Amino acid sequence: MTEVLHELLRGSLDHCVKCTICETACPFSNATPLFPGPKYAGPQAERYRVEDEPSVEWSVDYCSGCGICTQVCPQGVKIAELNAQARHKRKQESGVPLRDRLIARPTVLGRLGTPVAPLANATLRSRPFRAAVERAFGVHRDAPVPRFAGRTFRSFARRHSSPPASRRVVYFHGCGTEYYEPDVGEKTVAVLEHNGFQVEIPKQGCCGLPLQSNGLFDDARKYVLRLARALAPQARDGALIVGNATSCTLMLKREAREILGLADDPELKLVSERTYDVCELLLELHDRGELKTHMQPVNEVVAYHAPCQQQGHWIGKPALELLDLVPGLEVRELDARCCGIAGTYGLKREKYDIAMATGADLFRQIGASQAGSVACDSETCRWQIEHATNKPSAHPIELLHRAYGLPPAGADSKRSTLRGVMTRNVERVRNRART
Amino acid sequence: MRRTLHYDAVVVGAGVAGLTAAARLAESGARVCVLAKGVGSTHLAPGTVDVLGYEPDGSEPPRRVDSPARALPAFVAERTDHPYALLGVDSIRPALEWFAERIEHGPQQGYRYLGEMERNHLLPTAVGAARPSALVPETMAAGDLRGTGPICVVGLHPLRDLWASLCAANIVRLGVEARAVEVGLDVDRPDENALGLARRFEDPGFRRTFADRLAPQLRDDERVALPAVLGVRDPHGVWSELETWLGRPVFEIPTVPPSVPGMRVSDALRAALRAAGGRLVVGAEVGGAERDGERVTALQAHTAGRDTTYAARWVVLATGGFNSGALALGSDWVVRETVLGLPVRGAPAPGARRFVPEYFGEQPMSRVGVAVDPNQRAEGLENVIVAGAALPGAEPWREGSGEGIAITSGHRAAELVRAEEGLGAAV
Amino acid sequence: MAGLSTDVLVIGGGATGAGVAWDAALRGLHVVLADRADLGEGTSGRFHGLLHSGGRYVVKDPLAAEECIAENRILRRIAADCIEDTGGLFVTTPSDDPAYAERFAEGCRATGVDCEEVEPAEVLREEPRLHPGISRAFRVPDANIDAWKTAWALARGAHERSGARVLPYHAAEAIHRRGDQVVGARLRDVRTGDELEVEARVTVNATGAWAGRIAGLAGIEGVRVLPGRGIMIAMNHRLVNTVVNRCQMPTDGDILVPIRTVCVMGTTDVHTDDPDDQTVAEDEVQAMLEDGERLVPGFRRARALRVWTGVRPLFQDTKEGVASTRDVTRAHTLLDHAERDGVGGFVTITGGKLTTFRLMAEETVDAVCRHLGEERPCTTATEPLPGSEDGEHYMLGERLARREDGLLDDQLVCECELVTRRKLEEAMRRRGTSNLDDFRRVLRLGMGPCQGGFCMYRAAGIMHGLDGMSAEQANAALLGFLVERWKGVWPILYGDQLRQARLDDWIFQGVLDVGHLRE
Ligand SMILES: Cc1cc2nc3c(=O)[nH]c(=O)nc-3n(C[C@H](O)[C@H](O)[C@H](O)COP(=O)(O)OP(=O)(O)OC[C@H]3O[C@@H](n4cnc5c(N)ncnc54)[C@H](O)[C@@H]3O)c2cc1C
Ligand SMILES: Cc1cc2nc3c(=O)[nH]c(=O)nc-3n(C[C@H](O)[C@H](O)[C@H](O)COP(=O)(O)OP(=O)(O)OC[C@H]3O[C@@H](n4cnc5c(N)ncnc54)[C@H](O)[C@@H]3O)c2cc1C
Repeated sequence: MTEVLHELLRGSLDHCVKCTICETACPFSNATPLFPGPKYAGPQAERYRVEDEPSVEWSVDYCSGCGICTQVCPQGVKIAELNAQARHKRKQESGVPLRDRLIARPTVLGRLGTPVAPLANATLRSRPFRAAVERAFGVHRDAPVPRFAGRTFRSFARRHSSPPASRRVVYFHGCGTEYYEPDVGEKTVAVLEHNGFQVEIPKQGCCGLPLQSNGLFDDARKYVLRLARALAPQARDGALIVGNATSCTLMLKREAREILGLADDPELKLVSERTYDVCELLLELHDRGELKTHMQPVNEVVAYHAPCQQQGHWIGKPALELLDLVPGLEVRELDARCCGIAGTYGLKREKYDIAMATGADLFRQIGASQAGSVACDSETCRWQIEHATNKPSAHPIELLHRAYGLPPAGADSKRSTLRGVMTRNVERVRNRART
Repeated sequence: MRRTLHYDAVVVGAGVAGLTAAARLAESGARVCVLAKGVGSTHLAPGTVDVLGYEPDGSEPPRRVDSPARALPAFVAERTDHPYALLGVDSIRPALEWFAERIEHGPQQGYRYLGEMERNHLLPTAVGAARPSALVPETMAAGDLRGTGPICVVGLHPLRDLWASLCAANIVRLGVEARAVEVGLDVDRPDENALGLARRFEDPGFRRTFADRLAPQLRDDERVALPAVLGVRDPHGVWSELETWLGRPVFEIPTVPPSVPGMRVSDALRAALRAAGGRLVVGAEVGGAERDGERVTALQAHTAGRDTTYAARWVVLATGGFNSGALALGSDWVVRETVLGLPVRGAPAPGARRFVPEYFGEQPMSRVGVAVDPNQRAEGLENVIVAGAALPGAEPWREGSGEGIAITSGHRAAELVRAEEGLGAAV
Repeated sequence: MAGLSTDVLVIGGGATGAGVAWDAALRGLHVVLADRADLGEGTSGRFHGLLHSGGRYVVKDPLAAEECIAENRILRRIAADCIEDTGGLFVTTPSDDPAYAERFAEGCRATGVDCEEVEPAEVLREEPRLHPGISRAFRVPDANIDAWKTAWALARGAHERSGARVLPYHAAEAIHRRGDQVVGARLRDVRTGDELEVEARVTVNATGAWAGRIAGLAGIEGVRVLPGRGIMIAMNHRLVNTVVNRCQMPTDGDILVPIRTVCVMGTTDVHTDDPDDQTVAEDEVQAMLEDGERLVPGFRRARALRVWTGVRPLFQDTKEGVASTRDVTRAHTLLDHAERDGVGGFVTITGGKLTTFRLMAEETVDAVCRHLGEERPCTTATEPLPGSEDGEHYMLGERLARREDGLLDDQLVCECELVTRRKLEEAMRRRGTSNLDDFRRVLRLGMGPCQGGFCMYRAAGIMHGLDGMSAEQANAALLGFLVERWKGVWPILYGDQLRQARLDDWIFQGVLDVGHLRE
């Protein structure tokens, strides 16, 4: 199985004409000389790799796996995927630090932090504590860490029952929604229901993406297959799977199959074929004239950043088109490549500065855009953006939710009012600035 | 639910031809989506608009053209299979004007293209040869070898793709006084790609330091030649500021790929597309089509997980040639159009010479392209219009005609659709 | 006219000639080594890359097999750094006669070629691209050997040990005789046209397929070498990491050799009259690709980089009354012209294989010593070549490892083959040549997928800056490289390599417009 896959990836290196487009687009090699770039680490170095020789490349660890290289490559080389394999081999040989094993498991962290959220949040924002964590574990003291919501999305999902409708979808919410942003999940459900979907929310876990990008392939396989088993029954019954976390949906759609060598797993294949990004689904609905377009004006300027992994879906930027439907909303498309966080990359002590340098272009653009807030599909990117720019951010679906005038999410959260997501997020940022 | 989206026109390819066709169509009110496997040759090509630089006529090397406008009528009369013959010489000028306007009103404030079809510029290349070009970025124009003043070619250490000493030495062979200097830059790495440098030059502090280091090395009447790295978002700002600081003409010389000036073109055309409401999907490889008789009704694009169907009334195929993978020669020596399996034209007959042993000679395999009718329609299909390097009949790298053909054919493709659909004039 | 005087003049700087120079130098003789081109530009640099285990010959030519395995074991010690220990396989594919496998195994036993039968499933796990229908498989100690590295290590060693003069680009134009004695030769520097007289006590003709011509210069008749040309195709990356032979009676297109970053499919055997014949025939290309498919299904869709032709020196003695008993072995031919023709001071060595160059050199220098009337024992079987002292084999990842070390302080010029600026400049200073193809051979500059598309302009620019070389020379070097590489590219230009070639056309003819440098 692995061999066949290897064939697929390695075979693609034959298409490389060395044009260097990937290296101009790579957010990370342009920010640090420690990563010599995707062409070097991918199709170039691959010609020097033999199964039974040891990995000699320390530099490939500085690739974040964002996948921009594969996307821009005009020749169809699976650059990021080759790099991921090389990184995996390197990590297997040199060992994976405890830190990486921990931060790659959002479910473990989430389960620990949620019940003691106020304490955990305060602790995570305490300078001495963070300094100690940096020394002991190598998680950078300034790296953005999200706030535990203190409740899980699951607790909402358990209580919630979606009104019956002719169209059924399975909602794949991901760990960010589960532990940190249950509001986003509730709004996603509300927007889907508003547009005539019956939303089912089966019990589910992590997709394994952080494990994969940290080179822990075996664990990542276990996670993603477990998730596929959880989502497959409904998919088999004809339901689509919809997610709001673009990195996690990409893992299901493509990355697990290509990078982890799971191309042949029938359940994952089924899930992969039926998985949609929520904006992708809504745009398709709109294309058929079935999306509700009656919206309240939102008189604001918002900057939109399409995260790397969102672009890896190869579907363009559907969020941009959806936001264009909102009356009054002025959307500034940003063309900077990457915020730098790449899931867990920017948390690491040795990579934090690189991540911030990587994101500098984006942060500068956000500043120059005169937008009051930033829309972005990926939660880790939003946290990084807020951290670096002090501007509030939201998932595009939150803006739609607001434009539809739907009731607020998080009934038990007193801070939520009709003023909507922006205000709340402004507060969140201010809070952080204070601590 | 099927993954389907509907458009008036789907353009395949995000090179100059595809983006031109798409932006122009969107401007006239069509719902347009561009599907591209990756970025186009824009990111590699020097960004000059070469309409006709040489007339390959059997002499080696081919004879230079001073005025495309004057040379073209005879050129197409002798080559009835050439794309310019198909497009019509008259369609070139409006296309170039459209293009120049998009750049001028594009996101790079103040950045313009200079020149016209009457007279080619003669610009030095990175090796110091003279290359004829009709329309050139303002940042290159001062390099015209017929202009006055000796040239000082400036090498930038971490850039491998312009070698100042060789460039200057060859310029001297052309009868123009020239010399080379090297300027060290504060760059934390041994190699830096052109785009990386262009971003650095956008930092005023960085370029000030550079100018301060360069200024004392310059002689009185010299023009300054730099690799084409003077900014990608604000080239006009970077370039004009350097001219002011250095108090003399400054010009860019295109580097070996990747190409910053080409990226500027791509950015400007993308911005025009977006401003007109068009969509762009990069990463989506088109791998098949649904047909209804002689019409293509939808295209199949490979997207993550599974294919997405893009239904369209019109398809503009601007997928490029062999180098972008739109055409492929098999080891059985058969040429195939890889995207839709269309018939091709201009391939040497089976058993005939594919290539000649002389590297600089005319290669029989050069002029292959998608077979089209006079309206650029792919043979046998009513609604698939072909543009750019996918057209047969040219040998653009020997003729210096690549961008001219791409812009003209992209523009004309949009005009053809517009006429058929009764769409309004462009905004 | 300049002149030199030496004990031994070796004409021909292939593996054999360089091996003779090294052997003679180790025996304390003073040597001049001359080649009309660069070292290893003849058959040695146009071979298949295989350090034979002997497996190929166990049935057809057991003596050759015995020679190969003996030399294989020696070279692994003395030329360790030039060899990558890939191991080899003989596999019975569905296209092969299954009965041959038994004869093969028996032949290995009889000739002493190490051989172990392995499960096809195990082989397919190791080499997943091989034909899944393999029915039997045998492991043998095949390996690959870098001929250019070997030739230069031999020459350098000869220079270090006894001050040998190494003269690439010096063609022998005349061989001087004083009566029945050869006393030296006139060489011409083909780059400058300068002549050089070399006076030698013994002259060795080690010109392989050209040996008949050189013998003719000495007035010796009947040395007829029938060149047999064969093509090889290098694929863009390693489709296999082990040398793979088809288990059948040796024939065309039955070996795939992984060497450095590529793997090489070969070869054919077509008789020609001209050792300089480098024709790549269309049907031979197709035959090679078909044979590739038999070993690796999908081979035709993989990327072919380059094709080249080598000429085998097949010796035929046409001198009347000379029996073939002069053949020391059936594989190679040593002609002691004192014995054969009554001409002293002149020895011809031709035929053989690259794998057996050391043995050929030993026998040749034995003959040289006979001519000199001196007793000097051969030590090449135990003396490691410069660079191979630690006995460690080359590893594919070596360049990558070195590059990782220099990542932050050295520019990369040739990105495909990881040639750094420092390495290139050092070689340019050392070699003092302006032929970029020389750096291709010694550094692999421009040998990868883009075939110089991105690095040749850089190399020309660096060279121009370095030596204060004229623009004309730098241009000539660049244009010369482009013209030369095209020869090896166009006959197999299809698929991915055509994409590359088209991009390269755009770079050279569009962006740089080098064609008009010719004006
Ligand atoms: C290195 C270089 C130098 C050049 N120099 C010059 C010059 O000096 N002067 C000059 O006039 N011209 C030059 N050109 C040519 C010039 O850029 C042409 O305009 C160009 O080659 C033709 O443009 P195009 O839009 O037709 O195709 P391209 O720019 O090649 O674009 C093709 C597009 O199609 C996409 N595509 C291909 N297959 C598929 C598929 N199956 N599905 C979806 N998308 C697909 C590609 O991803 C790409 O976006 C140069 C080109 C290159 C590469
Ligand atoms: C297609 C093919 C594949 C092969 N594959 C293998 C293999 O995988 N393994 C293996 O062991 N063997 C292989 N061989 C055999 C092996 O390559 C040769 O036997 C070996 O390289 C011969 O080396 P040489 O030094 O004798 O000859 P060459 O390398 O040909 O050296 C002769 C030299 O003489 C020079 N010369 C000619 N005329 C003059 C002159 N007038 N003045 C000065 N110099 C002159 C030439 O330039 C040349 O460099 C292969 C041969 C062929 C043809």
